[in-house]
Amino acid sequence: MGVERTARHLRAIFTGMKYLFIGPRLTIMYPDEIEELPESYRGMIEYDWDSCIKCSLCAMVCPADAMKMYVSKEESEREGKVVKRPGINYTRCVFCGFCVDICPTNSLRFTGVHDVAYYTYEEQIYTPQEFSKGVPKPIYDREPKKVKAILDEKRGIVYEPSGRS
Amino acid sequence: MNIIDLLFQPYIFIPLVFPGLIAAFVLLLIIIWLERKIAAKVQLRYGPLYVLKPLGGVIQTIADLLRYLFQEPIIPKDVDKVAFLLTPVFLFGLAYLPLVIIPISPTYYAFRSDLSLLIALALATLAPIFTLIMGWASNNKFSLIGSVREGYLVTSYEMPIFLSALSMAVLYNSLDLVEIAEAQRKIWGVFLNPVAAANMLVLIYMSTSKFPFEIPEAESEIVAGPYTEYSGIIYGLVMGASYIKLYVLSLIYSILFLGGWNPSPSPDPLISGGVLFLKAFILVAFGAFLRAVYPRFRIDQAVNIGWRIAFPLSLLSILISLILILGGVSFGS
Repeated sequence: MGVERTARHLRAIFTGMKYLFIGPRLTIMYPDEIEELPESYRGMIEYDWDSCIKCSLCAMVCPADAMKMYVSKEESEREGKVVKRPGINYTRCVFCGFCVDICPTNSLRFTGVHDVAYYTYEEQIYTPQEFSKGVPKPIYDREPKKVKAILDEKRGIVYEPSGRS
Repeated sequence: MNIIDLLFQPYIFIPLVFPGLIAAFVLLLIIIWLERKIAAKVQLRYGPLYVLKPLGGVIQTIADLLRYLFQEPIIPKDVDKVAFLLTPVFLFGLAYLPLVIIPISPTYYAFRSDLSLLIALALATLAPIFTLIMGWASNNKFSLIGSVREGYLVTSYEMPIFLSALSMAVLYNSLDLVEIAEAQRKIWGVFLNPVAAANMLVLIYMSTSKFPFEIPEAESEIVAGPYTEYSGIIYGLVMGASYIKLYVLSLIYSILFLGGWNPSPSPDPLISGGVLFLKAFILVAFGAFLRAVYPRFRIDQAVNIGWRIAFPLSLLSILISLILILGGVSFGS
């Protein structure tokens, strides 16, 4: 009984020691290394002004009320009817991708950008004009190294430098 | 006598520089960083890294210390102010006081006494009283629960820790730390009486609330136990006190079981003291490592370990010492 318990304690300490001296590290050193994203990654959304047919489907399907139709004054006056274009509110967006899926002309597309910081709430609300200018570029001090995660049977997750950059 | 000579007099050098206040302070800064690094490595992370990155963030603790220094120490309205403010000072002071009596070479000690082992242990065991006072003075239920837990633990670890240490005194036929260390020139105490060695090691971690026994401070249950109401540099003091106590007990343990400064290449105080410090540092680092391995025992499990396992084992270790003496092992006069 006592011997078995002592053996268990020693085994626990041995396991800890094993990880202390030979274990891997799973941390990705984020600002210096960034993980390569899959093709279908759902990051911030970009909007194509020209191909949009102003159908409002994106705003209708949005479950978080992030996508909203704004009246475009210029176009309304020019065409003589109410024209609405979508704008997005990133404080609400849950990146579910419904708007991208439903868009009949692929005017809304996902980009890989996800690491952008804002100072105020107001900056995160994009009107159609700002929305169509594209997504902001993340700013890094140094050019980050792109790595990709590989599942290794013995070592768990391993990050290797990826070919693409 | 100029001031440099005065500094290297043992009665100044030992309490103030090594292994005293300055060495203890440096160890404190390093060990808190190391504890975080070790826990991080076992959990496949990096730990503190960005403060002085080439050295792995080793001055993170200094940054934390600065933060504690400039933080506002809040004294709650209903606390017993005198006790609340003085107990951390006494706690730290008493945790550090036994260092005065630790010899660092056969000829270099602040003062030598026939009873130095007893004095060191007695001074090291005074601190829990202040933990109790601290819990009462804080006027907070978490503090009170934490300090009462500490009180429970004291009753269960104090006697076995004394008996284990004294079993070695029986074996070496001396209570003098210098003689005890010198007696281990050929064979270390840990090989003569492994029961006492294992027992005392566990109890040291219990008495300084290192991880499996981190019951008084149990963060997920009672915030920070007796230290809940403390903030700023006063919190730094109470947090440092338990590390200093661990350092002191590790030094005593190294002298009792790990041969003290043996094998030392020369009797020079700095070299033999370095050997002793290295042994103590490994013990402290092992205590820090346990944080990454263990969950926390319940209070009844810890008290159970103290009374039902450690206490009989400490009696057994005295028996082993007596058998060894009867078997012809003899040290000293």
